[in-house]
Amino acid sequence: MEDIQNSAPGSVPAGKLGARKGADPSQNAAKRLQTELMQLMTSPAPGVSAFPSADGNLLAWNATIEGPADTPYADLTFKLSFEFPSNYPYAPPTVLYKTPIYHPNVDFSGRICLDILKDKWTPAYNIQSVLLSLQSLLGEPNNASPLNGEAAELWDKDPTLFKTKVMDRHKDIGDD
Amino acid sequence: MESDLNADLAAQEAAAREYQPHLEGPLVGDRTPSHVITEEYAKADPVYVQKTLALPQTYSHYRPVQGDGNCGWRAIGFGYFEALIRTGDASLVGAERDRITQYPILDHSEMVYEDMRDEVSILMNDIAAALPNQGAAMDVLVQKFNDLDVANHLLYYLRLLASSWLKGDPNANEYLGFIPEEIGIIGYCQNYLELPGREIEHLGIMLLYNVLLKPCGMVIEIAYLDRTPGPAVNTYRFPAEANGCDPSTLGPIMYLLFRPDHYDILYPHPPPTAPVDIQVNRASSFSHEHQITPNMPSLQNFTEVDLSALSLIPGLGLNPGVPSMSVSTASSIESYSPSPQSPWMPTPFTDSLPIRQQQPQLKQEQSVPSLRAVSVLPQPVQRQTPPLRFSEYCHPQLAETYASREPCFTTNTFKNSHFNTAHYNNPNFQPEEYRPELDDSFYEVARPTGKRRSH
Repeated sequence: MEDIQNSAPGSVPAGKLGARKGADPSQNAAKRLQTELMQLMTSPAPGVSAFPSADGNLLAWNATIEGPADTPYADLTFKLSFEFPSNYPYAPPTVLYKTPIYHPNVDFSGRICLDILKDKWTPAYNIQSVLLSLQSLLGEPNNASPLNGEAAELWDKDPTLFKTKVMDRHKDIGDD
Repeated sequence: MESDLNADLAAQEAAAREYQPHLEGPLVGDRTPSHVITEEYAKADPVYVQKTLALPQTYSHYRPVQGDGNCGWRAIGFGYFEALIRTGDASLVGAERDRITQYPILDHSEMVYEDMRDEVSILMNDIAAALPNQGAAMDVLVQKFNDLDVANHLLYYLRLLASSWLKGDPNANEYLGFIPEEIGIIGYCQNYLELPGREIEHLGIMLLYNVLLKPCGMVIEIAYLDRTPGPAVNTYRFPAEANGCDPSTLGPIMYLLFRPDHYDILYPHPPPTAPVDIQVNRASSFSHEHQITPNMPSLQNFTEVDLSALSLIPGLGLNPGVPSMSVSTASSIESYSPSPQSPWMPTPFTDSLPIRQQQPQLKQEQSVPSLRAVSVLPQPVQRQTPPLRFSEYCHPQLAETYASREPCFTTNTFKNSHFNTAHYNNPNFQPEEYRPELDDSFYEVARPTGKRRSH
């Protein structure tokens, strides 16, 4: 990314785009993510989990959220992907739903509209707090700024149809 | 259809989210002579021109700070460490390290700030190890502040210090006037102080002053370069009590230059310089000269030497631009303050600005016969500029200014000769650029000349 000149001397020069997949995340980000990993393992929060992706790239993680009881998403499990910028935690991760989900604040590509993942991000947030925020968003969507307008309307008007649409859309995906 | 629209919106949002302004230069630059700022504003609003011309009289150098939204934090943080280095006292640095790394950070788990705090600790240890060699310590500081990873940590720790001070200050109510009512203190911390890349505000500076600088007796002086009327930048000090005090009675002072939305670091002249006596040139035999000729003896010599030769050029004495110059002496002397620190600069400024302002008076002036004799004199100054002028490659913006002014002083004979830089035979050949706005002013001035010729 923009900090090529700041990479440690002697580190393998990563290609312009290769930095993302390359093994050269900024030391800040790597150190912080290791700390977060430790915290997630020692004090996991109920209903959410996250782990670095299998390819050993610390800047890409997979996560799961269990749908909270008493919401249309009860008993459903959602997979998400996290991609961390090299200046994490000073910029938010890019978070996507991998599991198809019908929700007012998620579009059909899995992109999420949540302020703390955008302009309200601060380094005080972390993977766990993001996952818990997303979990609570399942039960309390922000219908004022929907990405899925139909879902925002149905949430109030027709909870039964909403639930049907949620179930139609949901599809368990394997570990890829 | 709708999903298309959504995809478009999402794409736009993503573009906005990922947009990064194109930032040039290092995070914290080298000490740079302050006349570079003067140069930067050469073509700006006259208020800026005047204030930046005066700037080098007080401040010899500045240090550019990258404007990525953290510049205020960056400038004050850098100033703090630099002031510590200037004391040359390694034990003070150690004491300050203990003080600020042990300051209670409120409302955050250690996980959030431990890396940042460690980075502060490392920096201060490195500085202490380099002292008393201040040069080596400054090298450490500049290098750390230009390492984005390190700098992010350092600056965010400053943000946390400021927000912790606000949360923990029993007198926090004093600050409420600066905080939008609906968000309150906690909201201000979250949405302003602790948001990475969010500009520092007045309140942020007060907080950072209280938590970081006050305990070690440092003072911030901010020079505001804005469009408020006045011959020089306005300055304000934190704490307020320090305003109006003699700097020698205050602790270490860090100087900042504020331009709307941006902070840089300033360095004053080491000992306060005695005001330069610009009267020297006013005493010269030509009463109008102080306006046109800056306090540059060499330039004056040119004036005298080449005068006779140039006055031979036909039509020169009728040059339209000139009478206006002799007019404005009285009024413009006070408002114009020449800058001794930037010897290259005055010529382009001094004669172009007053001319424009004085144009409306032109007609009256023509009726004064004695003016004609005098009016020839300023021209050589103008003509002599090419040898004095820097190449356009040094100062592209200046070269432009210069080129654009040329036509005002050109007779046809001159224009068609190879003395004209716009002539292809001129060694400094520079093609003329068409400038509609200049054309206007050219004709305005040219019309009266025609009349005069017909007399």
